[in-house]
Amino acid sequence: MIGFLIALMSLPLATAVLLMLFRASAGQNTARWMALLGTVVTLCVSVVAVAKYKEQLVGNASQPVQPRIVWRHTWLEFETEMVATDVALPDRVKLEFFLGADGVSLALIALTSLLSVSAVLISWESIKERAAEFYICLLVLQAGLIGVFCAFDLLLFYVFFEFTLIPLFFMVGLWGGAQRHYAAMKFFLYTLVGSLITLIGLAALVLTAIKAGVVTPFSIPDLSAWFADHPMGSRLQTILFLTLSAGFMVKVPLFPFHTWLPLAHVEAPTAGSVMLAGVLLKLGSYGFFRISLPIFRDACEQVGTPLIATLSVIGIVYGSFCALAQRDIKKLVAYSSVAHLGFCMLGLFALNAEGVTGSLLQMINHGLSTGALFLLVGMIYDRYHTRQLDDLGGLAKRLPMISVAMVFTTMASIGLPGLNGFVGEMLSLAGMFKLAPIYAVIGTSGVVLGAWYMLTMVQHGFFGPLKEPHDVHGPVSDMSPREACAFLPLAVMCLWIGVMPQSFIELMRPDIEAVTNLYHPPRILTSGPSLGNATHNSFVESQVQLERE
Amino acid sequence: MGFESINSAINLVLPEVVLIATTCVMFLAAPFLVAENGAAAPGIRHRWGALALLAISVAGWFWMNSGLVPINDGPFRLDGLSYYIRGTTLVFGAVISLMLWSQVDDSKAAECQALLLAILAGVNFTVAANDLVVLFLGLELVSIPTYVLLALPRRDRESQEATIKYFLLSAFSSAVVLYGFALLYGATGTTHFVGIAQAIGGNHSGEFSKLLPLSVALIVAGLGFRVTAVPFHFYAPDVFQGSPAFAAGMLSLIPKIVGFAALVRVLGISVADTAFDMNLDSLASIVKPLLAMLAVVTMLLGNLMALRQTNIHRLMAYSSVAHAGYMLVGLTIGDRGQIATGVSAMLFYLVAYGVMTLGVFAVLCAISPSDRPIKDLHDLNGISRHHSAAALMLAVFLFSLAGLPPSGGFLGKMNLFLAAWSEGTMLGKYLAYIMAFNAMVSAVYYLRIVAAVYLKPGTGPTTMHMSAPAMVASVFCMVATFAMFVSPQAIWDRARMKDPSAVVVVSPTEVKSSMSEAIDGLPAESPASLEETLPSSSLPQNIPGGISVPGERAGSTPSASVESGPPDSRSESTATTPESSAP
Repeated sequence: MIGFLIALMSLPLATAVLLMLFRASAGQNTARWMALLGTVVTLCVSVVAVAKYKEQLVGNASQPVQPRIVWRHTWLEFETEMVATDVALPDRVKLEFFLGADGVSLALIALTSLLSVSAVLISWESIKERAAEFYICLLVLQAGLIGVFCAFDLLLFYVFFEFTLIPLFFMVGLWGGAQRHYAAMKFFLYTLVGSLITLIGLAALVLTAIKAGVVTPFSIPDLSAWFADHPMGSRLQTILFLTLSAGFMVKVPLFPFHTWLPLAHVEAPTAGSVMLAGVLLKLGSYGFFRISLPIFRDACEQVGTPLIATLSVIGIVYGSFCALAQRDIKKLVAYSSVAHLGFCMLGLFALNAEGVTGSLLQMINHGLSTGALFLLVGMIYDRYHTRQLDDLGGLAKRLPMISVAMVFTTMASIGLPGLNGFVGEMLSLAGMFKLAPIYAVIGTSGVVLGAWYMLTMVQHGFFGPLKEPHDVHGPVSDMSPREACAFLPLAVMCLWIGVMPQSFIELMRPDIEAVTNLYHPPRILTSGPSLGNATHNSFVESQVQLERE
Repeated sequence: MGFESINSAINLVLPEVVLIATTCVMFLAAPFLVAENGAAAPGIRHRWGALALLAISVAGWFWMNSGLVPINDGPFRLDGLSYYIRGTTLVFGAVISLMLWSQVDDSKAAECQALLLAILAGVNFTVAANDLVVLFLGLELVSIPTYVLLALPRRDRESQEATIKYFLLSAFSSAVVLYGFALLYGATGTTHFVGIAQAIGGNHSGEFSKLLPLSVALIVAGLGFRVTAVPFHFYAPDVFQGSPAFAAGMLSLIPKIVGFAALVRVLGISVADTAFDMNLDSLASIVKPLLAMLAVVTMLLGNLMALRQTNIHRLMAYSSVAHAGYMLVGLTIGDRGQIATGVSAMLFYLVAYGVMTLGVFAVLCAISPSDRPIKDLHDLNGISRHHSAAALMLAVFLFSLAGLPPSGGFLGKMNLFLAAWSEGTMLGKYLAYIMAFNAMVSAVYYLRIVAAVYLKPGTGPTTMHMSAPAMVASVFCMVATFAMFVSPQAIWDRARMKDPSAVVVVSPTEVKSSMSEAIDGLPAESPASLEETLPSSSLPQNIPGGISVPGERAGSTPSASVESGPPDSRSESTATTPESSAP
């Protein structure tokens, strides 16, 4: 199985290297075909990997974080130094190349691969200048993103997390809109600040672990297992949780830290927006799921839920109203991301199986539906060179297929039952309702608001009297087969998740339960409603029971 | 000291002997190959360059075969520190030689290459010194050729101004260092390191001569000039601006190697073993805050000033100031730090810094048209269109300087960061915070250069001028940047400087033989990519009789911290001196 992971990471990278070597001779055409080939093969590999993984998946995880596929290789080994005042430390501590995968990461890898194919297809015509470089950036970005999902070493995670900034910086800065320089710099520096705070938290966490005697203090599974049995003091935990999560909060983005997002989205090329909204934002919520939740149990309960849930709720309402006020479709979709990720975080910090499942589904759903929305906005922009709702109207008459697609995606995005958005939002809110109904109630208003702004947009842009910018020459064609190829897989997935969410939930269930078991030991979970009061002791007891069984 | 001991001492510095000898040959031969009108045969610089590279490789071969020698009362001290620094110097010397290759006229090539070799020898003497006098001579052997090297390639006003400025201030700083040395001599009555360490460390009462703090402060100030620590940095921007790219690259690295090596050496001896311990009575209670203050001011000022620069050389000058600040953090932490000692993190960072900063200048050397050197930031605008490979490398180096993964710069910063944090005091934590803040600020101006290279429409040089040797240098630097990230273990182990003073005294021949055993016995752990970074070296990690046994460290005796401390520690040296004399 590890071969799949290596292949998944190296395929895009290898394609990028090939492109780089043949860049001088390869024209736009060769470049895009090579990129397409690379991404399609990666997609196939990821689908096969998911299928195989599901086939072999048996039993529950025994640790909070337990990758089923593991590949460890020592990267840098420190010999600890004795400082006279300290307690005995382990002799050596290791940094590792710790790659692995569990259901959650495989699902997100598959999402990344799928969106990459769409991103290549949608850039087919629109990227004319320096095409080879563009696809190199895209492929490197894909490799980096897959790397994040494969990394189970804290530092390696951080490395990939940071690294994704670089290709996206170039994508926004080189192929973006009018304000691209400013947008690229702002995006880069803003998220860098968050990441550096995360780095401080990371160092503090690692040193705490070393003092506690953990030999592999960078390994996320080992850390989470250790701290599940030996919790840190609650004040320390809170501080570490907040510093470590800072980068994730910026990336998600949670309410006060979201200001980089609309600008970056609006200025990015379509493919950049697709990847940014589809996958990059998930790095934040994935970081919460992978690192914060398993390691900082008490802090998540005591500080995390009130703080993050409050910020998420504010984000949902605020993002929705901002979206309502936008006249630029792309900006509207960008603000809708703020709201949708709010649902995602709300579910995550419900800290129970329903909420976390909903949250992870919401991550994938948002990637699919928002990715599709950006694709469609990109198609319209390619045709009219405007995205202003004031300039457009009644496009259903001119572009029937794109309009159908738009309506479909809108429905998916606002959570129509039977489509994917419904499942994710529903589960997230249900999870939160169990824990703290007030957040769920306010959050639910976001669903209504979401329907409002999305439908308003569709109504203005696609129905009513036909209105097109005056300077469009010649006939405007409807969705081309290439664009359909970019869009249809996403639509199919939207429908699939909506109709049969169970198969996706099954893929991730053991890993989700492994984390939520920390918060709600399984015995209590099955017995019914008394959630949230699980003490540490009962947790240990139940663990013991579980092992006996 | 008889002929015998001089003879055997020479065996210890064979690499330097090779370098100096080549320098002499080049100086002697070069004038005969230049015609009366001052013109030399076109293309002769390739021969001189090749000769210089050859000399460096021969020196490198001797270096690889050199071993660690127990601390003794001879003039040279070959311990982990000198082994590490000498290798570093030689590798970077080769890189600088490649950068210099096409930047000077044929008629001056011999002198320039020869001066470079002399500088390298000076660096190595400094770090191998076992005596204040040798140390000072080493420092001067770096400084004096540097003056000439700055003046030689160009004769315009800017360059002259830079040279004069550097000369005056460097001479001044040398005087300050010398004064510090004199006071140290006054306080201890000897110039020999072993003697000094005995004199200072001998009294455990914590009382020391009042001359000592003053002398240490003066030495730190004088060497602070070399490493461009604020407030001794002010010459750097002007000098960098007035120098050609290779000289600026050299100035950004070589004085730092010398300065930090000398600082580790001198502070390791004078402050040793009470070492960097915030005991109020100890000398360290004065030195440590001093270094911490220097580090903070240097980082902050370097980065903030760099934000406003438009001249690329000035910008890189301030950037080098800022990086000196990061390294000073490592020096402040000293031998403390649980998972990485400050000094070893600093030495690791020194190499990472050298790779990336020389890389930037190598790229500048490679793409500068000979008539119009790239100086302004807007000269770089849009060069990615014409020089895509060079632009890519430049971006790699700049991201590495900013501390972004995956690069040696990231891992180096990470190590410093961990060292500072794990030192266990509030001071260390604050230093770590300030470093993180600075990394953020620095990203702004590095990103501005990247933005100029890639995002701005092109106004830069469009001719496809490429200097092949400089291109080789930058490719090497790029490979090294990645290699230091992917497989840092080999360099890290050497930067940890297993303390040779902990070695039980054996005669030199025994050392040699036991080392060759150790070399043979070493598993082939370093992949090929790393051998490029640091020529395949095999520093024996566990010389028979060494005491780096993990079990012993578990017992928290006070001496445990000494054993793994900086290259010198008094208790062992006193134990070893009686038996061991210079071979």
